[in-house]
Amino acid sequence: MHTLDPEIRTLHAEGTIDDATASRALALDRGEVFSLHQELRATMYAGVLLVMAGVGMILARNLDRLGPLAIVLVIALAAAACAVPAVRAKLAGRILTVAGEYLLLLAALLASADLAYAERQFTLLGPLWPWHLLLLAVVHAAIAYAFASPLVLAASLTALAGWFGVGGSLGDVLHFAHSTPELGGRALACAAVIAAWRYADRRARPDTRFSDVFDHFAANLAFWGSIAWCMEWPWLVAGLPLLATLAWASIRRGLATGREAFLVYGVVYAAIGTCAAVVPRIDGTTPTLGFVLLVVCAAAAALWQLRRRLRESVP
Amino acid sequence: MSHWRPSPDEERWLEVAEQLGAAVPRDAVAKRAGGWRSTGPLARIALFVLGLVAAALTLGILRLGTEITVLFAGLITAGAAEWLKVGKRLHASGIEEGLGVAGFLMVAAWFTTLMEPPMNVGPGTAATLVLIAAAGAAGLRLLNPFVTTCAVVAFVSWVDSTAVARSVDQTVGGGVTAVTFGCTLAALALALGAREYRRPSHDRMLDWLVATLPVAAYVQHATWEENPVLSIPGGPGTGRLATTVLMLALGAALLVTGVRRRRHAPLLGFMGCVTCLAVKLRLATTLATETWLILYGVIALVAGFALDRYLRQPRNGVTSQALEDREGPLDLLQTAGAALLAQRTTPEIPPAEPAVTPGGGRFGGGGASGGY
Repeated sequence: MHTLDPEIRTLHAEGTIDDATASRALALDRGEVFSLHQELRATMYAGVLLVMAGVGMILARNLDRLGPLAIVLVIALAAAACAVPAVRAKLAGRILTVAGEYLLLLAALLASADLAYAERQFTLLGPLWPWHLLLLAVVHAAIAYAFASPLVLAASLTALAGWFGVGGSLGDVLHFAHSTPELGGRALACAAVIAAWRYADRRARPDTRFSDVFDHFAANLAFWGSIAWCMEWPWLVAGLPLLATLAWASIRRGLATGREAFLVYGVVYAAIGTCAAVVPRIDGTTPTLGFVLLVVCAAAAALWQLRRRLRESVP
Repeated sequence: MSHWRPSPDEERWLEVAEQLGAAVPRDAVAKRAGGWRSTGPLARIALFVLGLVAAALTLGILRLGTEITVLFAGLITAGAAEWLKVGKRLHASGIEEGLGVAGFLMVAAWFTTLMEPPMNVGPGTAATLVLIAAAGAAGLRLLNPFVTTCAVVAFVSWVDSTAVARSVDQTVGGGVTAVTFGCTLAALALALGAREYRRPSHDRMLDWLVATLPVAAYVQHATWEENPVLSIPGGPGTGRLATTVLMLALGAALLVTGVRRRRHAPLLGFMGCVTCLAVKLRLATTLATETWLILYGVIALVAGFALDRYLRQPRNGVTSQALEDREGPLDLLQTAGAALLAQRTTPEIPPAEPAVTPGGGRFGGGGASGGY
């Protein structure tokens, strides 16, 4: 064990930190206040993961034994049951707890799986099937707004990205067989939609809790799109300036809001994009590795300096 | 003031700066930290990875193939790490840690080429032990709990792959040596954690061991049980019992200690033990995979929900509420985790459908696809 009690007392005694900060820091240091929030998050996440994995297997294996209608009904009932704590909290005017929010996420995910299964069995959407991801995005967004749940909003944005045809990981964009300017364009379009949504949400509800989720999705999708453009001529001509602009905007946002993640995005994605644009045009292993090493060193130095500036700029 | 690495007092002031964040003026802490500089958690992770990549690129530029280039690359990267550490006074900044670990490992890799037989890196060999020792030394030099934990976990795995352990395992059951050794080390780290340490990093190294070793040790045992080639007719019964008893005892100790000390590491270790016991229980039953997945998932959800409800109002200072509203790496991880779950569950478009843009998603995953 270690305690920072003497240091905190010293800062308080010399007036560097105020009474409230000192008493809070001392209470945390001594364990007088102890939060199990992270442990609960991990437990609930594991629970949702296990249940969804099990449900996926049931849907895949036990179709004939259980019958399609029974499966659809059971999963719909389970989804409704999972949403009960969130509904009760809303009716009572309470803020959603961490457990309630994860159960709500499970309800949304079960509904997704149910829709997929019902569609496969009964072809409910028929020729409109390609729109199902947009439908899911809208339904999840409605749930997220109804219960003010950032987790369900993340599910909605994932479905939206899927509807735009973006697989949902950087690997998909960097995978040369899949990564095309068209994919990049779709990722950028999705990022633009999410950014516009964020703007509208912020205007309509100034105290929104969703801005962080929007920001991370929009930033990552925009960077993936611009990196995809950096890989192929003549898209490179637009891709590189776009990447530079996005990196600048991300870093600026990080410095303005004190959020380290946006500095990391700006620097690391800029380094990846630069390498993706230049490396295929260099002949020879040593010059290629030398160039990448140069970019890595520059990125590390830039990130270090920006992190220092972030600390200085935070009031 | 220390030139080699931060003194315990300096390290404590760096810790104060990290914990209080913007609440404490930078200059008030910077003077007392002896000029040592650190960075935030996300930047540290990114810089650590960049350091490892830079080291690998250095090795590539010097051309992999001859043994001496590995030594040169190792010395260059370790030298660069030392320059950043001592010259620029960076501590826990990521970049010097990535370079330092890679440098130590490359020098150790070169050293293994001098051994007989050269570069014999495999289970239970002396060359592997040299690499593990190098990683451990790098972790201690850099005061990095992640690296020291990786070294200890690798050491547990190495011990399990020695001839002595194999012969013991043949008698009592596969992987029991690793579980016993890992649980003993975890218990030792737990006991040592009761002492008060001047250096926060030493305390954190013990915390990491307590949190990770139960699962890491159990994985060795599970590998044995899952592998029909390695399993032995007489052993599994004894091995399973011994493993279960060890996990139960360690889990109970971790829970009691975590609650008493109000520390997260023992509680995380306890959660690891519960996970291992759940897997063990599943292996001992004939339940279908989907049944136990849902059953355990429901148990986790009910337990989490009940605890959240119980601690909604703080009880004796313990609460389920978040104490900080600063966005940290775990918040980012939560968003990414939710997206990942949604991606896995989002229904797959039937392959017969023509490509539509937009709307041409290609999600993989569970749902009804059957391709889980």
